[in-house]
Amino acid sequence: MFRRKWRGLLAAGLVLALALAGCGGGSAGPTSTGSGAGGQGAQAPGAPEAPRDVTLTVALSADPPKLDPHLSTAAVDRLVMNNIYDKLVDLDEKLNIVPELATEWQVSPDGTVYTFKLRQGVKFHDGTEFNAEVVKFNFDRMLDPSLNSPRRNEISMVKEVRVVDPYTVEIHLETPFTPFLGILTDRAGMMVSPAAVQQYGDLSEHPIGTGPFKFASRTKGDSVTLVRNEDYWQEGLPKASKVVYKVITDGNVAVANLQSGTVDILETRTIPDKLLPQLRQNPNLTVSVTPGLGHQGIWFNVTQPPFDNKWLRKAVEAAIDRETLVQVVFGEAATPAASPFPPADPYHDGYLPKRDLSKAREYLARGGKPDGFSFTLSIGTGTEPEQVATVVQSMLAEVGIQANIQKLEFGKLLDDLDNLRHQAGLLGWSGRAEADQNIYDFHYTNGSLNQSGYSNPELDRLLDQSRVVTGEERKEVFRQVMAILREDVPYVYLYYPANKLAYRSDVVGLVNYPDGMIRLENVTKR
Amino acid sequence: MLAESWRRFRRSRSGVFGLAVVTALVLVALLAPWLTPCDPLQPDYAAVMQPPSRAHPLGTDNFGRDVLARTLYGARLSLRAGVTSVAVALALGLPIGLVSGYYRGFWDEYVIMRVVDALQAFPFLILALAVTAALGQGLNEAMIAIGIGFTPGFIRIVRSAVLEVRTREYVLAARSLGAGDGRILLRHVLPNALGPIIVQTTLSVAAAIIAEAGLSYLGLGAQPPEPSWGSDLRAAQGFLTLAPWMAIWPGLAIFLSVLGFNMLGDGLRDALDPRLRGD
Repeated sequence: MFRRKWRGLLAAGLVLALALAGCGGGSAGPTSTGSGAGGQGAQAPGAPEAPRDVTLTVALSADPPKLDPHLSTAAVDRLVMNNIYDKLVDLDEKLNIVPELATEWQVSPDGTVYTFKLRQGVKFHDGTEFNAEVVKFNFDRMLDPSLNSPRRNEISMVKEVRVVDPYTVEIHLETPFTPFLGILTDRAGMMVSPAAVQQYGDLSEHPIGTGPFKFASRTKGDSVTLVRNEDYWQEGLPKASKVVYKVITDGNVAVANLQSGTVDILETRTIPDKLLPQLRQNPNLTVSVTPGLGHQGIWFNVTQPPFDNKWLRKAVEAAIDRETLVQVVFGEAATPAASPFPPADPYHDGYLPKRDLSKAREYLARGGKPDGFSFTLSIGTGTEPEQVATVVQSMLAEVGIQANIQKLEFGKLLDDLDNLRHQAGLLGWSGRAEADQNIYDFHYTNGSLNQSGYSNPELDRLLDQSRVVTGEERKEVFRQVMAILREDVPYVYLYYPANKLAYRSDVVGLVNYPDGMIRLENVTKR
Repeated sequence: MLAESWRRFRRSRSGVFGLAVVTALVLVALLAPWLTPCDPLQPDYAAVMQPPSRAHPLGTDNFGRDVLARTLYGARLSLRAGVTSVAVALALGLPIGLVSGYYRGFWDEYVIMRVVDALQAFPFLILALAVTAALGQGLNEAMIAIGIGFTPGFIRIVRSAVLEVRTREYVLAARSLGAGDGRILLRHVLPNALGPIIVQTTLSVAAAIIAEAGLSYLGLGAQPPEPSWGSDLRAAQGFLTLAPWMAIWPGLAIFLSVLGFNMLGDGLRDALDPRLRGD
């Protein structure tokens, strides 16, 4: 759509082209016409390498609130943004960090300077060029206190970004920070167009990146439409010409749409777990279930009775049968958990405590409540948390622990947990490839995601250490961290939700990445 | 007069059917523990979503709980919810309607009735949702919410019945004999206005059962693991293609009990207030 408009504008005259250059950046007009030849060839019927006109329809579980990577907090945003924005570095299927906008990088021996070589000839969807100044602009924007970006905390250790030459950039950190590259594989690594930021301020409604697809339009609460980025830097990609994200909040409805062919791809949040066997039986569909990166569990508020008493926390944990819970509620769509590191993570240690009712009774006795006690378990709305809570409730009842389930609107649940107004709360984390992002802020004293109020200087020291050391040494540090968490139980890890993916069998090139993001540049239809 | 009413009631086929259904419902609620050996709260994680069998005549739900037991015990909860919330509405609506209709005047015309108008302008469920939002979730809260939601209707019905009766000759006669307002209201006005109130009460129980199921369906009424038809129906929704028996029985139970109360209400209306007949 944009390019047709541009061509029309250019045809209309130089004045208009100049006006466009004024808002879109210096090289917008000419570049767009320069590659326009290829675009024309693509559109002409019968041309030799004409990409087919393929529309991919993907169901989303909610309307993406903010398509600006520096402002976004929702997981559905990430699904869409992964196809609009490129990141400095990306993940492959095995969670290795691979080049994207950065072609290579070096870390200084003391671990505080990251030097990135940038890809040349990359253009934003508005025609402006990607270079080292853009990287600096992006980091400065994320760190700008007035933007109040959720990314600011993720990259707070960045001291300075230096432009060495147009395609080399140095990022200086205050202290060594092992997780840094991993963090750049997500929203903090997504590069937005500085020209677009100057024009719109907030890119939520005008997302402009360098990715394989560009934003075309959206209908609030209904759909988001992306079209092929004809000038994408990867030769021959993307393969599809259009992507439509349809908002379908009910999983059963999403499945019906997939079965009828109205939707091509369902991602993990739109597939009800119990329907997986049924989907597998459908010859027109392909189903993929792989371990994810996230975890779910129960936060104890350790600053208040009853769970300021460690023995009562341990009693609850001992009374829960994780394997049965997973089997009853999720089937193959989850695996039992006892740490924040899922099976795909190198720090996963395979430890899984069995249910032990006599131990639970012993802990209750030690905690001074041999006959049990009662507490309020806060959960979000939706059938999944309700089912998990109901199963946990029945398991605890066997040792006399009475869990009163309190359903809260999700925002209220987060608010209560953030401010330690709960006794216990069922809440998890969607997970990141970098281990640090799955543990540090959750258990560090006053960590931004610490919803237990737990504080242990020894644990803080170890967590800080985990950010500096690497390799086997880091593994050992995490072993010590887990030993403390398993002794004190501020959080009961319950299960790792799997990444589910279901799609029409004529869709090819789709890969189920462990981070759950659906990358569409290689996807097309037979 | 009672005998006459009973004769008319017996002639109403739907009324008799409704009475039978309601009686059955009450019996099920009272006798639930003797009708099934299963505990409606006891999960069996080894027998999840089992189709109907000898051990579980109506199958099991997604936690392996017996659907028959949950449906039978659900009658207790639904009946309690229906009766309690209507009692709340009656307790509020009856005195307000009586006084308002009997004394008339500024308070009646410009305060009470206008507030009733305002409350009735809300769709009922929105009103009940607002009340549960203020009171919190749970069966008791839901019953109060439904009761408050029904109160304007009761005020109106009671008031209109009182308006009709207050100028009758026997009321004037009582007053001329020097009877006080209290005596006139309780001895002469109320008994003669009772017909439409009884009908409204019965019909409201049906509506309250639906409302409780609706609120529980939305997750605002009965809380897990209580066996409520509404919340069981909601849970069943996610497994409709896998375990349809989870949805059929609570759905059928809601349908039957509402039908029963409605038909009983119709029969009572025919018996107590023949002029209101539709035909």
